[in-house]
Amino acid sequence: MSWRAMFSTLYRHSLMPLLVLLQVALACAILCNVLFLVWQKMQPMLAPSGVAGHELILVDQISSTTRSWSAAEVQTAEEGLRRLPGVRAASAATGLPMVLTTLMIFEFKGPSGVKIGVNGYIGDGLVKTLGLQLVAGRDFLPAEYREYGDTNAGAPLPVIITQAMANQLIPDGQPVGKLLSDPNESTDPGYRVVGVVRHLLRNQLGMATDGKADYTVLTAQKIGKADGLSFAVRVDPSMREAALGEVRSFIHRQFDSTMDSHSPARISFYDERRDAAFKSQRAALWLFAGVSLSVVIVTVIGIMGLTGFWVQKRTRQIGIRRALGARRGDIIRLFLVENLLIVVMGVAVGMLLAFGCNLLLMHYYELPRLPWSYLPIGGVLMLLLGQLAVLSPAMRAARVPPIVATRSL
Amino acid sequence: MFGYYLDLALRSLKRNKVLTALMVLAIGLGIGASMTMVTVLHVMSGDPLPGRSGEIYYPHLDPLPLDYHKSEYGPDPGVNFSWPDAMALVSAHRAERQAAMAGGHLLVKPERTDLRPFYVDGHYTTADFFAMFGVPFVHGQGWAASADGAREHVVVLSETLGRKLFGSADATGRMVRLNDTDFRVVGVAADWRPQPLFYADASARVFSAADQFFVPLSAALDLKFDTSGNVSAWSSFDGDMKSPTVTWLQVWVQLKDSTQVAAYRQFLIDYSTNQKRLGRFERAPGNAHLYGLMEWLDHQKLVPADVRLQLWLALGFLLVCMVNIVALLLAKFLRRSGEVSVRRALGARRRDIFQQMGVESMVIGLAGGVLGLVIAQVGLWSVRRRPDDYAHLAQMDPSMLIGTLLLAVFASMLAGLLPAWRACRITPALQLKTL
Repeated sequence: MSWRAMFSTLYRHSLMPLLVLLQVALACAILCNVLFLVWQKMQPMLAPSGVAGHELILVDQISSTTRSWSAAEVQTAEEGLRRLPGVRAASAATGLPMVLTTLMIFEFKGPSGVKIGVNGYIGDGLVKTLGLQLVAGRDFLPAEYREYGDTNAGAPLPVIITQAMANQLIPDGQPVGKLLSDPNESTDPGYRVVGVVRHLLRNQLGMATDGKADYTVLTAQKIGKADGLSFAVRVDPSMREAALGEVRSFIHRQFDSTMDSHSPARISFYDERRDAAFKSQRAALWLFAGVSLSVVIVTVIGIMGLTGFWVQKRTRQIGIRRALGARRGDIIRLFLVENLLIVVMGVAVGMLLAFGCNLLLMHYYELPRLPWSYLPIGGVLMLLLGQLAVLSPAMRAARVPPIVATRSL
Repeated sequence: MFGYYLDLALRSLKRNKVLTALMVLAIGLGIGASMTMVTVLHVMSGDPLPGRSGEIYYPHLDPLPLDYHKSEYGPDPGVNFSWPDAMALVSAHRAERQAAMAGGHLLVKPERTDLRPFYVDGHYTTADFFAMFGVPFVHGQGWAASADGAREHVVVLSETLGRKLFGSADATGRMVRLNDTDFRVVGVAADWRPQPLFYADASARVFSAADQFFVPLSAALDLKFDTSGNVSAWSSFDGDMKSPTVTWLQVWVQLKDSTQVAAYRQFLIDYSTNQKRLGRFERAPGNAHLYGLMEWLDHQKLVPADVRLQLWLALGFLLVCMVNIVALLLAKFLRRSGEVSVRRALGARRRDIFQQMGVESMVIGLAGGVLGLVIAQVGLWSVRRRPDDYAHLAQMDPSMLIGTLLLAVFASMLAGLLPAWRACRITPALQLKTL
């Protein structure tokens, strides 16, 4: 097969190939961006939480407009929860995974000057209660805990960070024992890393993308006097339902008389919270999936329609080729290669277009930059679709008998 | 001629049913997807106070200390007003009308024994609120300015709440128990629901339920009613809502013309200069600003970025569909070279061929538009099932309905231009020879 002959055919009847090229370019640009958006939405859903979700009960929205709870009351409730049958550990906490109503935000600066913003979870014994996996260092010692809100700024506050944070803040060397500082408070003694956990999902889920899913810190603080309370309770997995009932009745006994009657405490398993938290994300994912599928279908229809016409228009040319000795396979190959050529050019234009779209979207919607790796994915997808779409018209072309070449010349 | 072309178009479309169906499907999908998102954006970014929004302004002061570090994660405390600033602006009476307000959430204890106590959302505000925003009243009216000063326990109910509590539309003069305090009903407002609820704190769910009550701000503060909006403090906060370092109030003013606007802007700068001289404000008085209502909505980014993004996605998809129609129509029209040549040989002008092809594109556009309407309804139904607070708004109004059809016809005629032009340039002699 001569490449020159093929190019000259495409060049002389350039309208059809141009239209296919345009379709491929547009579809490629849209698909690259949609795939990227889908990935952005899916990252928080796929990120490992690090917690023992199946065994974790979360209690929050214990609040009152008329009073707050003293440190002693908080401790009584914490100990009461620990004594319940089926309960392995319990902590009063502020900021918990999948509790989206209370956020604790910390900013850290590492020894090398890297600054990051992270979510914090505060409470006595959270490593054990959440079921976190320590990969370096140790858990907090009981004597290290300070009461939250105590501005006893003598020594650096011990913190446990995640592996992802350690890689970012302290890229070289052992994170344990290193000092981190608050970039906004130059006089503050800062924080000292005592341990590193493998994973701990942050509770600002919208920011849990691009390796920032694990930007979560535990500080050696416990809940003292508080206006609103929340608890994390780890239960025996074989006694989940019974323990949930026990925790419910305990919280009602302990707090109903002092709480606002209109907003009851929320008591549920981590898994349920996770489900509810991702509802909106899932809806968006369905939408994106629908759009991508429609783009694919419409593009395939377009390529098929055009190539069908292209084949019909060149029936006589095909007949001549067959008469001169081309086999059916050769004809099929001719159309497949032609399509490949057009689609490759379309993909090249589409990639530029995709990049341009992403630049615009980045400018207006705080989206991150489209990684280069998405472009080949979109490209390969388009190549496959193109070949698939052209297959049936090519087969039709291959069935053209050589005899047509001799007719009405 | 039009009737004849229509007949020709229908015959030609019937001849190749699969291709026709594909074209109608493509335009229908494109139109359906884009109209779903356009409708959502349309209902979300509409004018909440038609005819009045041009006169409504939101002032902005900058009372934050110089060393205040604005967190990029949390809400901006500078958006709202502290009690002293809000009261200074309201009592200065420099605008046509002015009101301070804050959202609230109160427990209603009905007299009727068959109703259990329940919570309702509403606003604490000052007297000018009703006249400024043009709140329609069914019975009675808002309270007088003197009620603000006297901290009177009066309330304006929504028609829905009035009916629920008293069973009748006219509840004026009756007593309502709100958070254990009796309030006298002075007016019943028609269910008034600007979309979005522009005057609420930006952190509130601005696309959800309507306000059920309005109570004087002074009385609410007196009774220590909770505010449901965002309360930001930048020095120690002990629960004193009158503190000058706590922002929680919104202030809106009505200004009739550009001279009033300029004068008010100057007033805000003068006020800031004065406060800076007194040592209360630390930042430049020039930071004071006056936003128009629509400008404010834009500034507050009430339309979620997700919605805009999805609109662009849908429009991109429509473009793909249109290129697709161009391709399919081109294939369809050029396949009929023989027929076109015969017509040309029999005396049809190029213009006639162009018209004939145009009518055919229009028929496809109309069919695609109808399909698009169906798809858009399905799309809107799925948007309504989403867990976002704006979801229930996703309804199509008549203007959108007609717009959908027009867009579909326009899009398909636009897509038909190139194919029709190619078709009318067919050389009859060459084609006739091969027939």
